[in-house]
Amino acid sequence: MRRWSYIFQEAGNGLVRNLWMTVAVVLSVTVSLALFGASVLLRQQIEKATDDWVGKIEVSVYLCDDSNCPAITEDQQDQLREELEANPLVDEVFYESKEAAYANFLEYYADLETMAQNVGPDTLPASFRIKLVDPNDAAALRAQYEARPGVEQIVDQQEVIEQFLNLASTVRWAALAIAAIQMLAATVLVANTVRVAAVARRDQTQIMKLVGASNWYVRLPFILEGTLAGLAGAVVAWALLAFSVPYLLDTLQDSLPFVPFLTNAQVLGVWPWLVVPGLAITSISSTVALWGFLDV
Amino acid sequence: MISFEHVTKTYKTGRSDEVVALKDVTIEVDRGEFVFVVGPSGSGKSTFMKLLTREIRPDRGDIHVAGKDLNTLRSWKLPALRRDIGYVFQDFKLLTNKSVYENVAFALEVIGMPASVIDARVPEVLELVDLTAKADAKPHELSGGQQQRVSIARAFVNQPPILLCDEPTGNLDPQTSIGIMKLLDRINRTNTTVVMATHDQHIVDSMRKRVIELSHGVVVRDQARGVYGYAN
Repeated sequence: MRRWSYIFQEAGNGLVRNLWMTVAVVLSVTVSLALFGASVLLRQQIEKATDDWVGKIEVSVYLCDDSNCPAITEDQQDQLREELEANPLVDEVFYESKEAAYANFLEYYADLETMAQNVGPDTLPASFRIKLVDPNDAAALRAQYEARPGVEQIVDQQEVIEQFLNLASTVRWAALAIAAIQMLAATVLVANTVRVAAVARRDQTQIMKLVGASNWYVRLPFILEGTLAGLAGAVVAWALLAFSVPYLLDTLQDSLPFVPFLTNAQVLGVWPWLVVPGLAITSISSTVALWGFLDV
Repeated sequence: MISFEHVTKTYKTGRSDEVVALKDVTIEVDRGEFVFVVGPSGSGKSTFMKLLTREIRPDRGDIHVAGKDLNTLRSWKLPALRRDIGYVFQDFKLLTNKSVYENVAFALEVIGMPASVIDARVPEVLELVDLTAKADAKPHELSGGQQQRVSIARAFVNQPPILLCDEPTGNLDPQTSIGIMKLLDRINRTNTTVVMATHDQHIVDSMRKRVIELSHGVVVRDQARGVYGYAN
């Protein structure tokens, strides 16, 4: 008990004695871990949205209504429907009338008045919404039906989603790269701080070694000093994410009501991704900084 | 307790230049002996002391201290060696932010002694060095002689079988030095081996203990109940 109280007390004293250095270490660990945590959350968000979308992905077969091509006849429409239903690639077929399309549109874009004003009940085409057995077969389906009379356009939602996912993944890699650079800076800063602390208390460690204190007893306070700063950085980074991310997601949810966003509990659950790397990096960096330096 | 057998230590001072600090030194010190190690600066006294605590290692020869072969001693066992040796410095090396009591207790705390042992041993050793009244004083409030007695208390509080003193009176006036020597003599009578490196002729002459004289890394004299002598 007494040993640990000594070790923690020494580490705490060191942090206070070197207050501004400690602040610099904590801030730099905070920035890198917050970025890292953000990229972890972004990845979880992408996975969550993708899981949700994969089940709902549809291929829309828009039908001609005289605006761009001659309107589809009832016979053509019935035949198209029968063929689609018989197609082995197709799981399910729904018909969305012009009225239904308009109603859905109004529901999605309820708060965007200018868009609603430019779209009338007649603007949007009717369509067949097709769920595929395998969403990757969209191109094959399109090739089969694109040239059919009465078919205006076939849109694969997966392409739209993929564009979005590509963008999200670029953002994520950028965040990871900056986090890595910042983490490197934090590592060097921790190592330097720990060394400065060890030099400042050289008289004490010299006595400890001569009276026969074990290597770890001499070193642990300094290593702990770096590690505590790392833990503090992780906690601050977690607090930053816990406050800002739910707020950001709330704002996004308003404009993207159909996207499933991470829940608050899921955001808070990012803490192991902050604490584990935070502790690992600062403890390794402190240990390496003292390598051979405080040897008996 | 301490044995050197044909120990040689050289320092490299340049690419091909070497200084021989100790040359084929063989010394035997028994338990409970009091030994002065004398000789001018550069004679090898410091090297001798550093070899004993294995701060440095010899080029050749065997060193045994407190039953341990220092050539084969694993580095993780060094703390055990250091616990068998109390070390007293010329410049005291007290921690300025700690009181007399805390400085002495520190030596036991950092080797993981339980509080009950610390609470018993520290007042005892402060009594021995006659500093009970100054237990709460900080080092800067003490005279040089008092500070050296704190340093001795710290070295001896763990009751090591060996006490190494590196010029312990080097910073003290003759009157104060006599007090320190009386203290070391008292410790020696508890069957503690005392090895003291010194320049102080008066002290060596007045104590009449064993004297080992080094010159250019060689033992030129090893005399029971000796005197300082080399200046003459």
